[in-house]
Amino acid sequence: MSDTALLSLIIFLPTFGALALAFFNKQSDSALRTFGHAITLGTLGLTLLAWSRFDPSKGGMQMEVRIPWISAFNINYQLGLDGISMPLIVLTSFISWLSMLASSSITKQVRGYLMLFLILETGMLGVFMALDFFLFYVFWEVMLLPMYFLIGVWGGPRREYAAIKFFLYTLVGGVLMFVALLMLYFDSAASTYGKTFDILQLAAIGQGAEGAGGQFSQFVQMTAFILLFIGFAIKVPVWPFHTWLPDAHVEAPTPISMILAGVLLKMGGYGIIRIAFPICPLGAYWASHALVVLGVISIIYGAFAALAQTDFKRLVAYSSVSHMGYVLLGIAVWTLGEGSVEQNTTFWNMGLNAAMFQMLAHGVSSPGMFFMVGVIYDRVHHRDLNQFGGLMGLMPLYGGLAVGIFFAGMGLPGLCGFWGEAWSVVSTWNYSPLYAIIAASGVILTAGYILWAVQRVYLGPEYKGPHAEAITPITEREVFIGGTLLLFCIILGVFPNWMFSQMHESINLLVKNLTTAELIKQIFTAKEVTGL
Amino acid sequence: MDATQLGTTLGTLLKLAWLLPLAGFTVEIFGGFWGSRKSKAAAYLAVACIAGAFILSASALLLWGTTTGWSALESHETAHGESHGDAHHDDAHHDDAHPAAVHDEAHPAPAQAAAADKPHYPKSFSGTIYLLAEFQVAERFPALRFAIDYYVDSLTLTMFTMVTFIATCIHLFAIGYMSDELTDHHEDHEVHTSHGHFVRPGRFYRFFAFLSLFCFSMLGLVLAGNVFMVFIFWELVGVCSYFLIGFYVERKSASNAANKAFIMNRVGDFGFLIGLMILLTYFGTFQFASRVEDGVARPGLFDLLRDEHGALKISANGDTVFLNAETAPIDAAGTRETKTIPYYLLLTAGLGIFAGCIGKSAQFPLQTWLPDAMEGPTPVSALVHSATMVAAGVYLAGRFYPMFVPDVLLVIAYVGCITLFLAATIAIVATDIKKVLAYSTISQLGYMMLGIGVGGWSAGLFHLITHAFFKSLMFLASGSVIYGCHHVQEMPLMGGLRKKMPITAYTMLVGVIAIAGLAIPHTPIAFSGFYSKDAIVATAMTYAQLNRTHFLLFLMPLFGAGITAFYMFRLWFYTFAGQPRDHHVYEHAHESPRVMTVPLLVLSLLAAFCAWGGESGFLFKMLSYSEPTGVAEGVVDQFSGLNLPSHHQIHANHTQAGYYALLAAVLGAFTAYLFYGKRAFDPADVKRQLSGLHEFLAQKWWFDELYEVMFRRPAHIVARFCAAFDRVVFDGLLHWLARFAVQIAKWDRTFDEQIVDGFVNRLGQVTYSTGRAFSYLQTGSLRQYVTFIVVGVVGIWLLVQFFSM
Repeated sequence: MSDTALLSLIIFLPTFGALALAFFNKQSDSALRTFGHAITLGTLGLTLLAWSRFDPSKGGMQMEVRIPWISAFNINYQLGLDGISMPLIVLTSFISWLSMLASSSITKQVRGYLMLFLILETGMLGVFMALDFFLFYVFWEVMLLPMYFLIGVWGGPRREYAAIKFFLYTLVGGVLMFVALLMLYFDSAASTYGKTFDILQLAAIGQGAEGAGGQFSQFVQMTAFILLFIGFAIKVPVWPFHTWLPDAHVEAPTPISMILAGVLLKMGGYGIIRIAFPICPLGAYWASHALVVLGVISIIYGAFAALAQTDFKRLVAYSSVSHMGYVLLGIAVWTLGEGSVEQNTTFWNMGLNAAMFQMLAHGVSSPGMFFMVGVIYDRVHHRDLNQFGGLMGLMPLYGGLAVGIFFAGMGLPGLCGFWGEAWSVVSTWNYSPLYAIIAASGVILTAGYILWAVQRVYLGPEYKGPHAEAITPITEREVFIGGTLLLFCIILGVFPNWMFSQMHESINLLVKNLTTAELIKQIFTAKEVTGL
Repeated sequence: MDATQLGTTLGTLLKLAWLLPLAGFTVEIFGGFWGSRKSKAAAYLAVACIAGAFILSASALLLWGTTTGWSALESHETAHGESHGDAHHDDAHHDDAHPAAVHDEAHPAPAQAAAADKPHYPKSFSGTIYLLAEFQVAERFPALRFAIDYYVDSLTLTMFTMVTFIATCIHLFAIGYMSDELTDHHEDHEVHTSHGHFVRPGRFYRFFAFLSLFCFSMLGLVLAGNVFMVFIFWELVGVCSYFLIGFYVERKSASNAANKAFIMNRVGDFGFLIGLMILLTYFGTFQFASRVEDGVARPGLFDLLRDEHGALKISANGDTVFLNAETAPIDAAGTRETKTIPYYLLLTAGLGIFAGCIGKSAQFPLQTWLPDAMEGPTPVSALVHSATMVAAGVYLAGRFYPMFVPDVLLVIAYVGCITLFLAATIAIVATDIKKVLAYSTISQLGYMMLGIGVGGWSAGLFHLITHAFFKSLMFLASGSVIYGCHHVQEMPLMGGLRKKMPITAYTMLVGVIAIAGLAIPHTPIAFSGFYSKDAIVATAMTYAQLNRTHFLLFLMPLFGAGITAFYMFRLWFYTFAGQPRDHHVYEHAHESPRVMTVPLLVLSLLAAFCAWGGESGFLFKMLSYSEPTGVAEGVVDQFSGLNLPSHHQIHANHTQAGYYALLAAVLGAFTAYLFYGKRAFDPADVKRQLSGLHEFLAQKWWFDELYEVMFRRPAHIVARFCAAFDRVVFDGLLHWLARFAVQIAKWDRTFDEQIVDGFVNRLGQVTYSTGRAFSYLQTGSLRQYVTFIVVGVVGIWLLVQFFSM
């Protein structure tokens, strides 16, 4: 299979599946589910095939696809993979597959649900593979609508509110991104490439690379960076753009929460690394301080807010805000040497690696946490933390899996959450000791809210809430999903280099390109950031 | 066998010993699936794993000893001479600027081995087990490298052997102690539900699974070849401790204690993390020892900071510390820049790492979690919360000693000093037998910290090992008492038990004598605690002589030695001597089965004699062989004004200090005898007289209440504030915006409906009504139409005439 076909098939297999589902009998639930499952599994298989062809020793794009799409505007159907997107694509198909398995709890209008689910998967995979900014934007919006309906139709009691909140927030982000996109498109006219949406070409222009024939001005870079950053920050979500997340998570059905936490949030972080930073290095450098501050606030604020929640799912949702704060922190700790020990960017490189790893780790542990909440919610139909207790005795295997996954979220060494958190914080000292210390204090709060939640839900002598009779042992399907997630929490936790080795070269290349970007070099030599 | 082979073999043996319990864990944790609740298979597997680990560790120790000809046990002078040889060797290489010249301890040059009449063996062996991650942006900048490493020296070997040995004893003991879990219907008398006592299936296998996981984590901590790996296993022992404290998950008190332990430890780890950040930022590595791997020189922290004499290179004004030049990175021009670290940051890093030790070793001000941790089953208290995990703080303080500047050592000494006194005072009034031992553990850990802080590296670690033996013995003995008395832990309900359980009573007495530090002067008859405490007191005394302002660092441990003897003998007399206080308890008390008493006997032998020979004995020599360079000579620090005693100075004080300590211990023991043995005085009288003080001590100096008010409640208030801020401010703003948008839409609608539509409708209406009005003209009357036509034609004619004029 050629690369073009492979990448396209990965993206569009779910869409074909969705179309095919339209011809299924609406009533035959099991056939629909089996087919949906087969499609996600097939996508996962294709993704792994792509991974096997992927060469981690190369930093640049691989398996590039470039076919003219709308030639009048120089828009191309352009895809590609590198060490930054590859792990995220694998994560996406992996989590989609597990969420599809977890969708057995959905009984209402199964066909519609599955079709939207599969279209959503296409959108997500497309975002991570697109190398044309316009195509990226299209996929970004493609993913929005199914999500709106999945929350709004299959969600909890306040689903309409949550769905609209999610939709509007993301739409605002999308609009800001679109403005930046047009701005960069028209501004790139002067370059050797002409007007372009090509992310790599835009990045080359942004970095003033040789052959680009010019560079985006300081003003363009800063404005575009702000627009892009807010657009992506809403998705991450970064404080103060985070309030859509608890509502969306709480109202969304379990499998959709898993996707939301596991994949959708990562698109924000990915956008910052893939688009905002490379295209606007000067803007990124100029704003890095603000980004670090926002990252630190997200960590601490999210942890405190989680501590105060009484809804189990809301607690997990706020923990996502806190954990994604480490991603932003790791991405943003970019110094050029002022006040640092060595005038090199090894620590920023480490921070970027940690941020990427944190995204993957959170992409595994957070769906696990939501799934664990879903397992008990399916039985007792409430999520009040003060009305649980004793589940460790009633459902020992479930309790064990849940504690394992929650500890992964807590950042226990040997489980996946540790590396991203620890290393993004450690890399921060070189940027600013103060922020490093504040961020590090998050480890205490995280332990506090997770352990307290575990105590209230799983420990204790007896279950204190309603529907005690409904508490049945965990099913095999649930064990499979939870166990698989926990297994990957452990594997990533014990052998982090498995992922770091995939990302290493691409992140090195990114760091190299950004630090040698034209305007950045000027700042570096001038050693002063006047007028910024 | 040459040094490389020896290093590899030792590494392999210890790696196996480390991984064996992990293998056990992975099987045992699923014991509920493959075995019945009544099966002891999990326990046997756990014992086999840890005993295997002990055999491997002991063989490693023996191999090391026989290969190196027990060089550690040679006389001090010879060892000293050898280290000088090392220094010269280093000097020779220092002239060479090439990175490969970094002294490679694991792979000494063959020429050097041939030069000596017997093969030269380095003091430590280290290597990489596997890589965690490596970050490097360009060739000319050194990589940030994180790996799972091993570091083996005589301290590692001793710790491994001690940990695995004690763990084996405790595993065996636990087979007996936990046997009431071997049932499908375990009734927990401490837990009350709406249906009476709580009944659950036994969890025998789970207990052993967690013990195995703990052993793996603990051994990993000891094996660690870099400080980051220490941190990893540091957290892992913490979580094992969490599981084991909270083993009785149904008990609220147990899960609270487990949470408290974990969170207090995280507070310490927060400091640890800050220390790690500083170290990585300024040193670029976490590795302890320098080594060459795959042709790349990887300098370690100790070699970066200290020169070959163990001294720091500080700038003239005392602000900056220079790191060793030959390990600095090569800059773009191909020359080395001198790396430096500000003194205050080195100080902060040391304090940060030590904060981790404070948390783990339950030192002041994070001491409150350890007494609560006694909620766990007694074997856990013996293994985790006295012998091994809590001692890890001391171990790290010892391992990391070269990174501590004198000011940090002073802080360590004072923290130890405060802790040992504070915990000892609380132990006087505690009545729960395990709580007394818990406070005693805190106090003894304070001694170890003090020992390390005043420059007695070997003394502190010596006490760590002896304490591990006698304290695990005492915990197991107390476990035997608790088991024999059917889970009664309150000493006021005991008394006279020595007749019912003689083995427990007399093995406990061995432990009590050992911890109290009793001995017969001028004879070699002394139990282990005497030697190790003596070593600490002697070092503290010398330190106080050299630094007169810090005289408390000597007086407190001396005073503490008296209190220790008092509360330990109090415990023994209370429990085992005199007449029974509660006949119900006494009647049903019985000696424990052999699986429990044999470990007691074995441990009592070691508690008594492990330190045989004192500072010329095997154990002390083993430890002091790994003593960092420069400790033996003492330090005169011009910047901090602190002087660390040399071995020579300490030696001069040794006999005198020994007498002081012994005198204090005898006084304490005798007082305890008067109060609780002979019952010449009634302790209740004293309690009445000093009721305020008693209350203060019984409330543990009010630390829990203080922390509740200072930290826990504010944290919850801030948390609620954040949650409310989201609801009220962010969502409020959002909802206001939404309402605003809706309002605009409404205006828009009104505008559309009233103005735009109104206009259009009006227009329509007007048109319509005009049409309507015209329709009246359409009457159908021909005469009328003709009239209109005529009028029209005339009108048009007139108009045309008018305009054409």
